[in-house]
Amino acid sequence: MDTICDLYLSDKHTQHTWQAFLEQRGITNFNAQEVSTIDQTIGLYNADNQLVGTGSIANNIIKFVAVCDRDAETKGARFNQVISELTNRLGAQGIFHQFVFTKPAYIDSFKYVGFQLLGATEQGAILEKGMPNIKDYLAQIPKFPAAKKVAGIVMNANPFTNGHRFLVAEAAKQNDVVYVFVVNADVSLFSTAERLQLVIEGTRDLPNVVVVNGQDYLVSFVSFPAYFIKDNDAIIRYQTELDASIFKQQIAPALGITARYLGSEPLSHTTALYNASLERILAPDIAVKILPRLTNGPQVISASYVRQLIKTGNLSDLDGLIPPTTVTFIHNNLLTLQSRISKGQNINGN
Amino acid sequence: MEIKETAMAGTLESSDIQIMLSAGTNGYEFELESDVAKQFGDQIKATITNVLEAYDIQNAKISVVDKGALDLVIKARALTAVQRALGIVDTPNWEVM
Repeated sequence: MDTICDLYLSDKHTQHTWQAFLEQRGITNFNAQEVSTIDQTIGLYNADNQLVGTGSIANNIIKFVAVCDRDAETKGARFNQVISELTNRLGAQGIFHQFVFTKPAYIDSFKYVGFQLLGATEQGAILEKGMPNIKDYLAQIPKFPAAKKVAGIVMNANPFTNGHRFLVAEAAKQNDVVYVFVVNADVSLFSTAERLQLVIEGTRDLPNVVVVNGQDYLVSFVSFPAYFIKDNDAIIRYQTELDASIFKQQIAPALGITARYLGSEPLSHTTALYNASLERILAPDIAVKILPRLTNGPQVISASYVRQLIKTGNLSDLDGLIPPTTVTFIHNNLLTLQSRISKGQNINGN
Repeated sequence: MEIKETAMAGTLESSDIQIMLSAGTNGYEFELESDVAKQFGDQIKATITNVLEAYDIQNAKISVVDKGALDLVIKARALTAVQRALGIVDTPNWEVM
């Protein structure tokens, strides 16, 4: 009979054993970013007190899962036991919507324990379990079956600038319906609610634009953490391709989206890699249209520059960079925004 | 009765069943994963439906991963999931049991 124990990775010896076990089973990425976010790790031990399985949870994500089926009663039993324990532990914390990243070879194993595939590339796959799931998410978005040309745009809009506005307006001209997905992560200077509100207000005069929250499915902490935390190029590529595959395999077909609009990216390295992944994964099924960035004089309009101006308080320089709705919001909330910056909110990332 | 919070009961081990309940708006909406769904899918759903009806729950989303559980196990797991979802774990409804 196998038993489950907690593994405390802060103990050097435990971590060494754990890492060796995973490495023998082909898991090799132990960079600090991946390991330090782990909340809990469990180990499965056989009657001889040997480690025969392990798995970890980090927020709502199951990761570092490996089992050894040698001497097991039935094939797959240990895997089920590990996943069962992890899903129950997440459930005990009130987390019933769970994700897992795995290799494409293990998609079926996770499907057997109730996970559903969100997206898959040659390198990886992302699956979810629980509720509310992608079906619930897609069900609450308004749909336009009669529309012939439907486009999608994903933006953080931190905050909504004339550059964003230009991209949305161009897409609105060229399509019957445009969905604008706003990134759902409260790690930016402007909160999700504020960013959503500014996008809605800034596009109110465009009747064929629908603004929706991207939830966990578009550039989120789940699908694309490197957007928010710096990481190396290989990891960014892995994550962005998965993010693009969720868009292609789940979101676009459900909403009838045939084109995705992007702004060209001369400034942010991560976003430039994301754009490249989108072109690689989405085309040719979904047209990827990259529009040149709107400029104000010699400089491209960027939300990051707007944040710098908020920090220094040079509000007169905001002219021409942001629409009136965003201007009003910044004027009314300048002190709140500045105090967030002085409390350590990073404004140099995305 | 309305489901107050999402709740789960059971495991993914052989001969067990994992049932997750959450608030719904459209009757009982089942999602069932089971190797024997073809043979016993309807019966598994019927057993869970009976428990939900006994607690007078009208709407629920029910996500089920069955690993070959017997009827009494299904009933027991459904009862636990319902009690957790209704927040009445400490005051079981003996009439239903």
